Amino acid sequence: MAVPRLLRAGGWVVPSRVRPGPARPSDPRVSLPAAAPRLYSTVPAPAAAVRPRAEDEKLLSEPLSHPDFFNVKELFSLKDLFDARVHLGHKKGCRHRFMEPYIFGCRLDQDIIDLDQTMQHLQLALNFTAHIAYRKGIILFVSRKRQFCHLVESTARDCGEYAHTRYWQGGLLTNAHIQFGSGIRLPDLLIFLSSLNNVFEPHVAIRDAAKMNIPTVGVVDTNCNPCLITYPIPGNDDSPTAMELYCKLFRMTIIRAKDKRRQTEVFNELRRKAEGN
Amino acid sequence: MAGNRMQKIGSVFSRTRNLLRIGVIEKPLWFDVYAAFPPLREPVYRLPRPRYGKVKDVIPPIFYQEDEVRARFYRIYGSGPRPFDLSQSNYKSICQMFVEKFNELKEEGKIEEEKLFEETGKALLASGVILQRRGTDKVARQDHQEVETRDSMSHLQLQTALGEKKDEEEQMPELAETQKENPSPS
Repeated sequence: MAVPRLLRAGGWVVPSRVRPGPARPSDPRVSLPAAAPRLYSTVPAPAAAVRPRAEDEKLLSEPLSHPDFFNVKELFSLKDLFDARVHLGHKKGCRHRFMEPYIFGCRLDQDIIDLDQTMQHLQLALNFTAHIAYRKGIILFVSRKRQFCHLVESTARDCGEYAHTRYWQGGLLTNAHIQFGSGIRLPDLLIFLSSLNNVFEPHVAIRDAAKMNIPTVGVVDTNCNPCLITYPIPGNDDSPTAMELYCKLFRMTIIRAKDKRRQTEVFNELRRKAEGN
Repeated sequence: MAGNRMQKIGSVFSRTRNLLRIGVIEKPLWFDVYAAFPPLREPVYRLPRPRYGKVKDVIPPIFYQEDEVRARFYRIYGSGPRPFDLSQSNYKSICQMFVEKFNELKEEGKIEEEKLFEETGKALLASGVILQRRGTDKVARQDHQEVETRDSMSHLQLQTALGEKKDEEEQMPELAETQKENPSPS
């Protein structure tokens, strides 16, 4: 049912047996485009990195073989999440249908989020963030909560990454080449510290990131839609303690990953010099 | 540069994987990381359809054994004399002290069931906590008699209503949910 639509989207190459009959390679005027990439801008965006060497490939592939290379598990515990009131959700009437699997129960009409599941999701999300930061990816923090806009911006500044806590213009990701000029590099990861905007609707950036094939990590409260977020973290996004905890965790993982990368590069450099001598 | 902007079909990963298979894009930074550590649920778009007919609530309500004692305490004494200080995580309210004393006396077993409640009240009074019964005025004992004659009918009605409610409470089925009160760190 979805298959025919998918085949029509993007560059699908017609297999040889289905190809129409005459006027084929013998005709010099006809050139087979095959899978020619369609250029939407005048200049294609520069690649993120040149073709890596064997050593660089080992540098990038080695962390993937460990289940928790950056040891993000030690950064938080269940008690920390409980003390920061991450388990407190909204009232029963505000509950989103797709958040039901992540909710533990309902105490006098207030939803309580299952912290065991939150632990798992948080570990996956922090691990993913760390790997992206290790590979020198661009991370963008997004939050439309005015209460925490300064906190998010200072967290991003401390990590050396980017934040966007103001009004999101329609074409920021989808129309980037025209709004910012060609040769723009889009973020490789979007972190939502609150996935709703000021009118309690899903933030436009969630849909835009899914459109631009950019993975997202997001804190989803009981009134949010977790469908399109790649690595959702079910948890409270309204309490200051909870937001400070999330910012602290993200900041520590990103700094840890970047330091690890710098260390490994320096180590390889020294080893290459030693071998050269 | 090709791309696939159809966010309602498949996930980010499936679309990128298919574009790579065709060969129209270069491998993005996050692709290998996602392949090595996929999320627990594939992020596919789902249409948030409203439920029709009778909606079953799948989320269980959370109740404890101590809730019966707490309900009785709040009905008789109102919210305690001291306001809650939520800034401390180990704060113990008057109600919580009451519940703990109640459980202690219950475990000792020397007092009968019916008298337990009053005995706990007396024990708390002995330890210095003053409990004010709800519905009595602190002000002006002089008007006490006037009030009584005027509102004697409504007072009687109130008492009977409270009495009925107490019976209902005790007959209510107990929903015992054991949940760890202080979760142990993982």
